[in-house]
Amino acid sequence: MIFIKNRKRRLVIIGVDGVPYRLIRDLSQTGIMPHTASLIKQGILRQMASSIPEVSSVAWSSIITGKNPAEHGIFGFTDLAPATYRLSFPNFSDLKAPPFWYHDPKRRSVIINVPSTYPAESLNGVLISGFVALDIERATYPKTLIPRLMDMDYRIDVDSQKAHSSLDLFLKHLDQTLKARIKAYRYLWENIDWDTFMVVFTETDRLSHFLWDAYEDPSHKYHQAFLRHFSQIDEAIGEIKSRTNEDDSIILLSDHGFERTEKNVYISSYLKNEGFLKLKKPSSGNYSDIDHHTRAFALDPARIYIHLKGKYPRGSVEKEDRDKVICDLEALFSSIEIQGKKVIKRIYRKEEIFFGPLSPYAPDLVLLPHQGFDLKAGLKAKEPYGKDIFTGKHTQHDAFLLVSDHSDDDIMPNNPSVFDIAHIIGRLCNGNTTPND
Amino acid sequence: MSAYSMHNQDKTCWNCPAIDLAGMVDFRACGQSLQISKARSDDSDTYILARCKRNPGLGVYDPTTITFAECPEWIERPYGYLLRDMRVMILGIDGYLGWTLALWLGNLGIKVSGIDNYNRRNWVKERGAHTVVPISRMSERLHAATSVLGIDINFREIDIMDRARLAEFIDEVKPEAIVHYAECPSAPYSMIDAEHAILVQENNVLGTLGLLFIMRDLVPETSLIKLGTMGEYGTPLTGRPIFEGIFPADAILKWDNREWSLGGELTPRDPVSFYHVSKVQDTFNVYESCKYWWLRSYDVMQGVIYGIHTDQVAADERLRTRFDIDEWFGTVINRFVAQAVIGFPLSIYGAGEQLRGFIALEDAMQCMVRLIASPPDPGQYGVVNQMSGYCSIRSLAETVAEIGSQEFGLTVRIQRVENPRVEADIHPFEPIYDNLPKEFAFQPKVSPEMEIYRMFELLTQPSIKQRIEEKKHLILPRTWWSGQKKPVETLEVIDEVEYAPRAKVYLS
Repeated sequence: MIFIKNRKRRLVIIGVDGVPYRLIRDLSQTGIMPHTASLIKQGILRQMASSIPEVSSVAWSSIITGKNPAEHGIFGFTDLAPATYRLSFPNFSDLKAPPFWYHDPKRRSVIINVPSTYPAESLNGVLISGFVALDIERATYPKTLIPRLMDMDYRIDVDSQKAHSSLDLFLKHLDQTLKARIKAYRYLWENIDWDTFMVVFTETDRLSHFLWDAYEDPSHKYHQAFLRHFSQIDEAIGEIKSRTNEDDSIILLSDHGFERTEKNVYISSYLKNEGFLKLKKPSSGNYSDIDHHTRAFALDPARIYIHLKGKYPRGSVEKEDRDKVICDLEALFSSIEIQGKKVIKRIYRKEEIFFGPLSPYAPDLVLLPHQGFDLKAGLKAKEPYGKDIFTGKHTQHDAFLLVSDHSDDDIMPNNPSVFDIAHIIGRLCNGNTTPND
Repeated sequence: MSAYSMHNQDKTCWNCPAIDLAGMVDFRACGQSLQISKARSDDSDTYILARCKRNPGLGVYDPTTITFAECPEWIERPYGYLLRDMRVMILGIDGYLGWTLALWLGNLGIKVSGIDNYNRRNWVKERGAHTVVPISRMSERLHAATSVLGIDINFREIDIMDRARLAEFIDEVKPEAIVHYAECPSAPYSMIDAEHAILVQENNVLGTLGLLFIMRDLVPETSLIKLGTMGEYGTPLTGRPIFEGIFPADAILKWDNREWSLGGELTPRDPVSFYHVSKVQDTFNVYESCKYWWLRSYDVMQGVIYGIHTDQVAADERLRTRFDIDEWFGTVINRFVAQAVIGFPLSIYGAGEQLRGFIALEDAMQCMVRLIASPPDPGQYGVVNQMSGYCSIRSLAETVAEIGSQEFGLTVRIQRVENPRVEADIHPFEPIYDNLPKEFAFQPKVSPEMEIYRMFELLTQPSIKQRIEEKKHLILPRTWWSGQKKPVETLEVIDEVEYAPRAKVYLS
């Protein structure tokens, strides 16, 4: 047997944001995604649990670090800055655990469009930030790449506002965004001598939010457009696969699943109606208007915080009363029904799901809904529930993980979760366990 | 509890010029947009993403969640919270209002910059007149501001029509508010002939339009405080209220047995000279730019301005602001006082029953600071009718006559002369001027009597009285709206002045 000294194993990670296990399985079986079907045959595909809450910022931060939110510090797309009511949008600078590409500085990484990696920070390789990224300049490392990206008409994300005025225009921009992303991956694949290559296609998530009904309904005007997009994604997956060497490893994964939205449910509305949440101006949608009579408030999507004295400027709940307030909230939310259907499937206490030094910043409760209910903080919402343009919503239990590598038979956990990915990456790269152990 | 009236304490970073509005995000769709849409920003689940230019350490956040009262960059001042070391640029800084405001703002710790091309000095010179209160050259003014008041003003001699240089200066200073006084403020000047009408409209309309494009490109978060005039509205003979630029929410139009809401629409304008037309055109240009580009602006519909005093301009002779009395640039109350000082009958046009809003110089300065301190929302075109009260021109003349005769021993007569303008001599007048007191906590501090008294004190000084005498032949109008150039004839001389003006002055 010949051993190549210092040989590094190449790893390719393809992310498809918000694609559920059953969709990837079904479209592979029905011939819409033949390249993915071929990958499935060569590897192992499993349903995967997402983070709690099941939003991209938390899930992808967990995927790239292998850490619990109470270790990496990202609990949602929004947060209140400590000891204030300033609603902040945590980003890559707030990530408190190192992503896998910093673990082995000798490995050169290309990281494209991983959500919550803005602003881009230096690394051995290239990083183009994903959603939420405010400008291409700070979303790109190294900056010398910016002119090339501009030439490609590279877009950080599709402008989702377009969908509010025209779904046709939204689909056109979605297509352009995907094409530009593919151009960028091709360029970097060919021009960088990389060891780890990661690209995330987030267009799948945007499409599913607006047109999940089109996926489920074959007679829907945009059913074929929906399938066509996944077919394009599949072609990109096939192309990437065709470019790999025989001993390269491939991970294909999503960060959460999707399902049909029946109703949006606004948590703050219930908190207000039951006297847990008081705003200085009743019609206000500002967290800065939280009154000192408030006992609990919510942040998106369904994180509930006890308004503790000493933790918030106008906090009024004494520490010894926290459990009582939590019990009252659990009683409230476990009883909510809309049109005869229970809304909340599971109420998690902080202690059950958040483990790590940052747990003081974690929400006290996180709600998980029954099928069809999309939970939102909805501080501005006037009604407890409603319906809007969106037809699809995230699911927690239904992400997927596909590992195409036979060198390590037990690399795939039986019940994988987003927290396992960094560990798997470490093993595939160099036989390590969790990268930052 | 603050000792001051903190009218702007609940304003947030959303209003703050030190904010960089980076985009929007809709977490329902995990979607972002780098374009900020007004309609979507009201959506319950759509957030605006902002960064603080002064404190980047705050990261990216929702700008509606930090109030001025909570922000350490906004500090308590007598007229509300003011942004620490706020940068304010005054266009037309050499003028009657511009110079006064520069010192007023500088005295509050604001970093003042400004441009001027000395047009006003030249236009007055063109008439053969001069400011009866002598003013220094700009270099001497700037030196005196520093040495007497400790105020450093960053001045450039720039014509507002020179867009390239103006843009360069704005880019260099990055003002957080721009006060726009750089317009020709004279109705008669615009009615002299075609050349003058065109000059006024070019300078005012095109100068402002160019400024709006510069602001769009370089400082879109900066608030524009633009001087308009009550004269934009005219004096509608229907007697309908003269709202503050925009119809209130409950205004209704009834016609043909049907009703429509007028709420939020611009109110009608009925300008009374080509100068006033330029101001109306400005209104539309500013309004549109707020709509198209999310600029933010207050249009200040100023009543007749009068007065000579602020503590800053009175601090040193070199710091005095100009005071014009000629037919082109003299405003009515200032002109009355000058006439009274030299025994020249106070000239009122036509019946003299024209009703006008007015405001003292010092109160106008207070208003401007309050507006600067409380920036509009992005995309907001706000309007204030800036006046502290209103009364007839004849009543104002009687007030001046009373103070001149009773306090200064002058013999003061009033004369009615032909009205060279095309305007109603007698008309209803119901101005609404609630915004400044209600939204900005403005309270007039200066009564007409007090300011007129201070004007007499200054203008009766021999050297200034002499300067009035030298140009008294330029006081009465010769510029007719018809295009004629001829003196006005006296209609009536009122020797027995009845002093009952105070009852007719309606202070807010």
